Formats: sequence, structure tokens, C-alpha cells
Amino acid sequence: MTATGSGRGGRTLAGTGSLVRLMLRRDRVKLPSWILGISAFWLYYTQLIPQAYPTESDLNAIVSMMGGAAGRMWTGPTYFLENMTYETFIPGAYGGYLLLIIALMSILLIIRHTRVEEQTGRAELVRASVVGRHAPLTAALVVALIANGAVAVLVALIMIADPTFATAGSILFGAGCFVTGMAFAGFTAVIVQVTEYSRTATSLSAGVGLGLAFMIKALGDMGDEHGTLLSWFSPMAWPQQTAPFVLDRWWPLALSLAFAVVTAALGYALSARRDVGAGLVPGRAGKARASGLLSTPFGLAWRLERRAIMWWAIGLGLLGMSMGAFAERAVPGEMPEALLLVLGGAENITAGYLAYMGIFMATIVAVYAVLAMQGLRAEEVGGRGEPVLATAVSRWSWLGANVLVGAVGVVIIMAVAGAATGLGAASALGDNALIWDVTAAHLNHVPPVLVVLGVAALLFGLLPRATPAAWAVVVYGFMMGTFGALMDLPDVAFDLSPFEHAARMPLEEFELAPVAVLTAIAVALAAAGLAAFRRRDLDVT
Amino acid sequence: MSNVIETTGLVKDFGKVRALDGLDLSVVKGEVHGFLGPNGAGKTTTIRVLLGLLRADGGSATMLGGDPWSDAVSLHRRLAYVPGDVELWPNLTGGEAIDLLGRLRGGLDRTRRDMLVERFDLDPTKKGRAYSKGNRQKVALISALASDAELLLLDEPTAGLDPLMEAVFQEVIGDMKAEGRTVLLSSHILAQVEVLADRVSIIRLGKVVESGTLRDLRHLTRTTFTVETAQPAGGIAQMPGVFNFEPVDGQARFDVDAEHVGAVVSALSGLGVRAITSRPPTLEQLLLRHYGDEMAAHNGDKAEVAR
Repeated sequence: MTATGSGRGGRTLAGTGSLVRLMLRRDRVKLPSWILGISAFWLYYTQLIPQAYPTESDLNAIVSMMGGAAGRMWTGPTYFLENMTYETFIPGAYGGYLLLIIALMSILLIIRHTRVEEQTGRAELVRASVVGRHAPLTAALVVALIANGAVAVLVALIMIADPTFATAGSILFGAGCFVTGMAFAGFTAVIVQVTEYSRTATSLSAGVGLGLAFMIKALGDMGDEHGTLLSWFSPMAWPQQTAPFVLDRWWPLALSLAFAVVTAALGYALSARRDVGAGLVPGRAGKARASGLLSTPFGLAWRLERRAIMWWAIGLGLLGMSMGAFAERAVPGEMPEALLLVLGGAENITAGYLAYMGIFMATIVAVYAVLAMQGLRAEEVGGRGEPVLATAVSRWSWLGANVLVGAVGVVIIMAVAGAATGLGAASALGDNALIWDVTAAHLNHVPPVLVVLGVAALLFGLLPRATPAAWAVVVYGFMMGTFGALMDLPDVAFDLSPFEHAARMPLEEFELAPVAVLTAIAVALAAAGLAAFRRRDLDVT
Repeated sequence: MSNVIETTGLVKDFGKVRALDGLDLSVVKGEVHGFLGPNGAGKTTTIRVLLGLLRADGGSATMLGGDPWSDAVSLHRRLAYVPGDVELWPNLTGGEAIDLLGRLRGGLDRTRRDMLVERFDLDPTKKGRAYSKGNRQKVALISALASDAELLLLDEPTAGLDPLMEAVFQEVIGDMKAEGRTVLLSSHILAQVEVLADRVSIIRLGKVVESGTLRDLRHLTRTTFTVETAQPAGGIAQMPGVFNFEPVDGQARFDVDAEHVGAVVSALSGLGVRAITSRPPTLEQLLLRHYGDEMAAHNGDKAEVAR
């Protein structure tokens, strides 16, 4: 280490340069994958939309579907409606998703290089050498700066190189990506100081933080074409409020920048108040003896998952309640015709909207299903599976118990989300029968989620390192569920998604066949995973 | 069959790396069997094959009369295992982990559990993430020792324990032996094993290179003496069976072959001994024989080629 700092600041930052190089070296595959993946995503959308909708009238057809309040929930403010071109529409309608992925990249980056390092004890080794107190956090923020900078430049270049987009707006849009990434990096810098455990930090930042930011923006934007006051409370809203290519205003980015600086400063201040490896919230003492529950593999799996299931149920319950209450606004007069058709026509507009909510929730709960199996994989790799499998617990019952708990979790979360959506709709529309109808509609969509769980279980048994590949099913299902209807795709493309088969209750009558077939597929997948797991070595180091 | 563990020609590959290379191990019922070897020799891999966590690529293994892979569950009811690196659930307390692992094995003796918690001085109310390495090891040890398993597989069980706790561990294992249980105790430190073990097997590069009682093995090697004498001890260097003689600060240090110890000690007594320490051979010295052989063979080959 060459830096021999003079003065206090120099000492607390000693070694930052070396740490930055170390982090970049460790992320040499991960970070370029994120950056290139995000750029490819954006290149795909900027090129796809003009190809898929070659004429003005094609474009107007989709816009009429996205223009309503329900559409704004996903796209954000619709400044593009004032001047409808590819230039205004593509960033306006799809830019929000880009920002979401960039925020996620930044959150995971900061957690990976700060809290995970402390939890594994590697940070202790690093801090014992000539490395200042603030160096690890500073280095992580510098790496976030580099990553977000690279994303911003590539995104801007993709648009500048395309004659569709004006240069000024492209630069503004890229800058929006950059400051949003840094805002969430700063936010995460605070969260990692608070918790001792990286999994808690991930759920707090990615789940609660990012989820809340998205929800506040969604609820705020539903109220008005340009968003409402509520929208402005979400960091996700600020870059979209710059209205690139329409208003081209830079000042909302000042909010993002200030947010990033203030949160990062708070992170530094908090980190100075705690020990290496510790969080601000100390661990509490617990029971000296295990309760009767902790006697079986199922009991253990339930104990490890129950808190996650509870938080998912609460989170999606709140989301469901607010979306259910929005059913009141799903009035035929306000809806563009194309959307009316998708939702089942003017007479059934409310039922169509609620039916769509069921599919939407199922796609989100599938995220939980994949995370549950990834959690089990962490148990195996982390050496906590070994002592359990060295007792009289068979491979079959260990994996089986965890898959079963995952399935129970899926049912609970879907039931709570459905009941909450139903409650919201019932209170908004004054029809109490909706509570039961919407709950039943959500439960009708449990089997496709179980298929995703089955895919993850099969991967865990057969190709454990490839367990995250189950994400592909979720992402594909989400794309088909949201943009699928907007693209002119063959039926096969829809049939491949497990989410497109169950009856659209309450719009349609319950159908047993898809539920039975999907459940059978899920069971077969899980059984194959169990059989494969019995044949392979346990992955322990 | 009186052998609790019997492996013949056990082979395990991890990709291109051969972790076990024809391992023969036999552990007799009722003995404490030391399983010695340097880091990376294959001790943990052997134990994991015996637990059915890894599947052997060749050879055969029998444990408690069953097949470790296909009869895993029924065998696990009769044994208890302590891994070398104990990982606990961050949100479960040590007490909960002890009970959980004991119950999953088929139940544990509550009085014994409480006694062990007391003897090992463990706070069972702390959450898993709050324990040090040594305390995590205590959790796994207590859970294993509180069971009535007939076979204990202990993989470097005391690596993180302080000397006081190490002593408690030795007492408890002594009790286990008195009750007629069988213990396979792996370690890379000879001193830990020699107090307890009836027999030892030394593993190196995936093979058992020596097996027998420590006495059997020791006659093959040398004891190290450090002496301070009234008269110069230089003459000792010329005696048969004495090696590496070096004078240090008015003292002398040398190694003596086991069969010549008696003669050397008599000769020393004539020199007016003021202080004497003798150290039994260490694992390193036992192993050095094998490294030495191999190095000699290796050098021989080279010499051959050079010629």
C-alpha cells in the first residue's frame, strides 16, 4: 500500500485504491455481465419496439392500453402522450424497468462488498492490514460509481447512435440511470450498517426498500398522468420526472444526487459507531431449549422459512389491498378500447382487472419460490445441510420437507394476497362477495407457482449450481404476462409460460383441468429433483 | 464381525483430483481410533464417504455392518458426527441446535445434555451467528456426546477449543470408551490423539500409510532428548542409534532410535545429568519417514535420469 495519508482523512481512507482493484478483480465476470446485460436489455427494447410496431397507428394501439391509470402503475408518468413518437414512448414506457434493474445491481453490489465480507470474516483480515476504517465502504461506493457510470454511458450511447433519439435527451436519460443507481447504492450503504446478517440486509434493501420505492411511485403515478405529490417521495420517480425527450428538465436529478450523498454520508456516520462485523442492532438471547416444533426436518425448514413467508404475506397483502382498492377506478368510460378487450369487455371490466391481479401476484410469488430453493442451496453450500444429513434424516425427507414448506409458503402468501386484494376491492365497490371470489381466483393460480418451485427443486437435485436458472421461468412468465399481449406472438409462446393456463377467475368459471395438469407437472418435477438429489454428492467444502 | 468400520481400496475423485486413493481402514469395536494426517490428506473425505454424504468411486466400505451409501439413514441412528467446521443456523440458538440435531438422530439424553452444557461451559441461549468457532464446535460436540450412539465420528473436534475444554473433552471421551462405544477421532495433531487413542491410522495423500498402536509406530522412530550434563556430552554422538547431535548453549540435543534409548540413558547417567527432557516423536516425525522415503525415491529417480 503506497498511500501514507497525512491527516485524519488520509488514514481512514488508506488502502481504498487497492480495495477497489480487489473488488473489480473479484467481480470481473459478475459486473461486466450486469453492465452488458442491462445494455443488451435496453438495446433490445429500443430496436424491438419500432420493428414490432412499424406504423403510427400500431403505436397508438399500444399507447391506448398503457395510457390509463393501470398502465401508469407499471410505466410511470405518461409525458409521452403529449407528443407520441418512438423517441418519447420507448424511454417513457420501458425506462422504469431499466431503472429497477440498475437499482438492483447497485444494491447487490454494495451488500456483496460490505456486509457479506464482514459476515464471512474476510473483512477482518482486510481491516487488520493497512486499511483505513472508511476504506471498504468508500471502495464499494467507488465500484458502484464505476459500474453505474459504465451503464449510463452505454445506455446513452445506444440512444445517441440511434437516429430515433435526440442527443440531449439521451444524455439526460443516461444521467438518470446513473444517479438512480447511486441513490440506491447510498441507501444500501445505510442498511448494511444496521444489520449483522447479509440476508436481512438483502431483504431490507431489495425487498422492503426497492419494493416500497416502486410501490409509492406506482400509487402516486396512478393518480395523474404526470404523477402526484406522492410520486415525488420515491427515488424511483425522480429520473422519470425529468421527462426526457419531452420536457428535458434536469432539476429532478438534483433530488437523486442529494439523496445519494445524504444516505452515503449517513452510512459513514453509522459505520463509525459500530465494531467490525457487528450491526447497530445487536443480536438478542433466545431459548436455551428447542420447542417441540424443532424435531423433524419439516419443523426445521418451517422455522427457517416462516419469517420470510410472513414478510412476503404482509408485503403482498399491502400491495394487493391497494391494487384491489383501485378496482373502483376500473370504469369502462376511462378505459381505452384495446385494454377493455384484454380485460374481458366493458361489462366485465372489474372482473377482468381482478383476474389479471391473480396472474400478476402469481408471478411475484414465483420469485419467493425460487428464493426458497436458493435458500436451501445456501444451507447446503454453507455447511448447515451436512450435520442434518449426518443424522437419521434421509436425502428424500430433507429436500422433501423444504419443498413442502416452500409449497405451503406459496399457498399462504397467495391466500393472503388474494384475500387482501379482495378486501380492497370489496370495500371500494361495496360488494363483500368479492373477498371470497378474489381469494379463490388467487388460489386458482397457485399451481403455476408450484411448477416454478418444481423446476427449482429439479435443478437443485440434478444441477445444483444451476439452481438460479429457475429465474428464467419467472422472467419469461412476467414478460408474457405484461408485454406478451402487446407483441404479436404465436400461441406457443404463451403456452410455454406456466402462468397462462389457469382460468381467469372471476372473469371465467373455475376449470379443473389446468389446475390438475399443472399440479401434476409440479409434483413430477419435484419428484425427479428428489430422485436426482439421492444420487449426487453433497456439495460441501 | 467385530470391525465397526472396514474400508478396502476406497477411491474418491473430485474432477481430476484424487482425494482417496485406495484407502484401507479398519476400526475395531470399542476402541478409540486415531485418524491422523496432515491437512488435505483425505480425512474429512473419508468420513463423508462413511456418512453417505459422498459416494465412493471405487473400493468398498462397511460400517456397523451396513453400506454407508444405501443404508445411510438406519446407520445414522446408531452414530453421531461432529464436523470439523461447524456451521450453525444464524437465527437458532445453540441450545435449539443441540436439541434439533439430537432429535433428528432419534433422541438425546436430557440429563446428559444439561450436564455437558455445564461441563463445556456453553451459553445455550446465544444465537448461532454470535458464537465463536470454539463455541460452535461445543454445540456440535454436546449434541453428539449427549446421544447414545454406538459410534462417534469426530472430525478434528477440538481444533477451536482452549486447553481447559480440551481436557473436558478427553474426560468425556474416556467415559465413552468405558461404556464400550467406538470412536473415530481425526486430527492433525498427534498429542491430541495419543492421550485417547488405542490405535491410530496415518493417512497421507488419500492412503493409509501406517496403522497400529502408537507403541507399534513409535518403535519405528526416534525420541528427542535435550540434556544438560556436568561433563561434556560429546561422546554420546558416537553411540549407535544417535542422530542429529547438536550442542546448544551448554546443552545437547539429539534423537535416539527407540531400541537404543536404554543404552543412551545409562551412558548419560555417568556424565552427571543436571536437566533432561525427552520428547516422544511427533506426527511430523512419524510422517517424515514417509515423506523421507518418497523424497529419497524421488531423488534416486532424478539421479537415475541424470546418469
